[in-house]
Amino acid sequence: MTSAAIHIRDLQKTYVVSERESGMKAALQSLFHRRTTEVRAVDGISFDVAPGEIVGFLGPNGAGKTTTLKMLSGLLYPTAGEASVLGFVPSKREKSFLRQITLVMGQRNELYWDIPATDSFELNRAIYRIPISDYRQILGELTELLELEPLLHKPVRNLSLGERMKCEIAAALLHTPQVVFLDEPTIGLDVTMQRRIRTFIAEYNRRYGATVLLTSHYMADVEALCRRVIVIHHGKLLFDGELASLVQKFTAHKTIVVQLENPNADLSAYGEVVSYEEGHYTLRVPKADTARITGRLLADLPVVDLLVEDPPIEEVIEQVFAQEGS
Amino acid sequence: MNYLRLFGVYFRVSVLSELAYRVNFFVQLFQSLVELGTALLGLAVVFSYTNTLGGWRPDEVLALVGVYFIVGGMIGLVIQPGMGKLIESVRDGTLDFTLAKPEDAQLLVSIQRVEIWKLIDIVLGFGVLATALVRLGETVGGWEVLSFVVMLLTGAVIIYSFWLILATLSFWFVRVENILEIFQSVYEAGRWPISLYPGWMRFALTFIIPIAFVTTVPAEALTGRLSAETLLGAVLLAALLFAISRVLWRIGLRQYSGASA
Repeated sequence: MTSAAIHIRDLQKTYVVSERESGMKAALQSLFHRRTTEVRAVDGISFDVAPGEIVGFLGPNGAGKTTTLKMLSGLLYPTAGEASVLGFVPSKREKSFLRQITLVMGQRNELYWDIPATDSFELNRAIYRIPISDYRQILGELTELLELEPLLHKPVRNLSLGERMKCEIAAALLHTPQVVFLDEPTIGLDVTMQRRIRTFIAEYNRRYGATVLLTSHYMADVEALCRRVIVIHHGKLLFDGELASLVQKFTAHKTIVVQLENPNADLSAYGEVVSYEEGHYTLRVPKADTARITGRLLADLPVVDLLVEDPPIEEVIEQVFAQEGS
Repeated sequence: MNYLRLFGVYFRVSVLSELAYRVNFFVQLFQSLVELGTALLGLAVVFSYTNTLGGWRPDEVLALVGVYFIVGGMIGLVIQPGMGKLIESVRDGTLDFTLAKPEDAQLLVSIQRVEIWKLIDIVLGFGVLATALVRLGETVGGWEVLSFVVMLLTGAVIIYSFWLILATLSFWFVRVENILEIFQSVYEAGRWPISLYPGWMRFALTFIIPIAFVTTVPAEALTGRLSAETLLGAVLLAALLFAISRVLWRIGLRQYSGASA
């Protein structure tokens, strides 16, 4: 599979961390003798991402997502296994490779604090050696897509978190990278701003055919952007496939929301009543029995409205991790 | 060529950042003038008791003070801020952004921050140096000026490499600012000719913390007391330290990325 934009096989990363017990004595001892333990942050994962694909990379904190992204962008050297991005070995950090990728980290900022974002952009223009005409064009497009116009000439310290993130993203994309690694790009932002950034990512992917690997804690990001998700936990790959089949695979239940004319019925005979609000009952039923129970409800009761749903994706993901943990 | 262009862009960004805090200009001006005043006063006091100091005449020591300010200004202008930022970015992880850039990371961290007001020290230093030269008059010829320029650049390379080596330690030990603080105090010893100090200290200031090559040697070049061996030695030391700093930087980066583990 050399045509893949991202290709990794049995990728591993082990950190050696020094540990010590709390207290003065242990602190003094550790000056001379350090005890170290090995932590397997990434423990043999494999996947391929096709050019132009947007893949959601999911997992709880400490699952190894950021470590994987750093290995793919050449910042960390894998302990074992192979990785290739656009045909390059990331850890060699060749300039022609670095010119084609970008890494956005939602929790860290790169822009200079005291000057307007455009001045920081100039710095990236020089480092990436972007020709002035290309630079003007891409900056124009990013400005339009991210609505940057009013932000560009204010010192970065005067921008809100969301405004700053938009500028950070623009700075990271000025060289029109083919592969984009986004690590929690929407963290801490309000819902409107999250949505705007989401729309932008989709548009950038469409316009430039860029491959995007995205981590996020907000399932709305993932649902809106990614058909395919890769789930890792404790450094191991749990699932790789379509978001829809993740739901299929990991949930044995469906949710039925029923509204009745008579709001005082007891529905516990049909399934587990999860909640009841103003005449709306929410039932959880085994997936296989969904059709049969729906039929019985409609036949037995004065139903005003009925809706069959998959459980919310957050719940599914939680279940995935819970199953793995047990 | 591209390096100069990059430096130009970083310099511009720093100028823009600093202009947001104009009061710093006056603070720095005041600080530099006080430092210079103290240094000159020291000279005046010493030379009110004697006519030569370890074989150096007053105007020659004045030239040394000029060099001390020029080199100190260069350190404060790019080296110290850049290395300080490097240490900071190793700790908070923003070094990742630098490493993800398609440009030599050592170059980028070395020029990433410029404290423009330190230019004041450099300007004052050249002023003091010019005054000293005028007063020395006839003794300064073409060879002296040429060897001075070469030694000044050599000194800059030595001091840069030395700082980089110290800052690179942050890849292994997260807190190393204190070492840099100590360096700054030791640098003050370079205000006087190294030959004044007792043997062990002369040795330390030449071979352990090579301040001698940074201030005394260029001043020696200017005052015509530089031997060919010292000149050659300084150039070799600069090349050696630069090579060591480069190797150590590479090893440090491998440590940072876990390639050595």
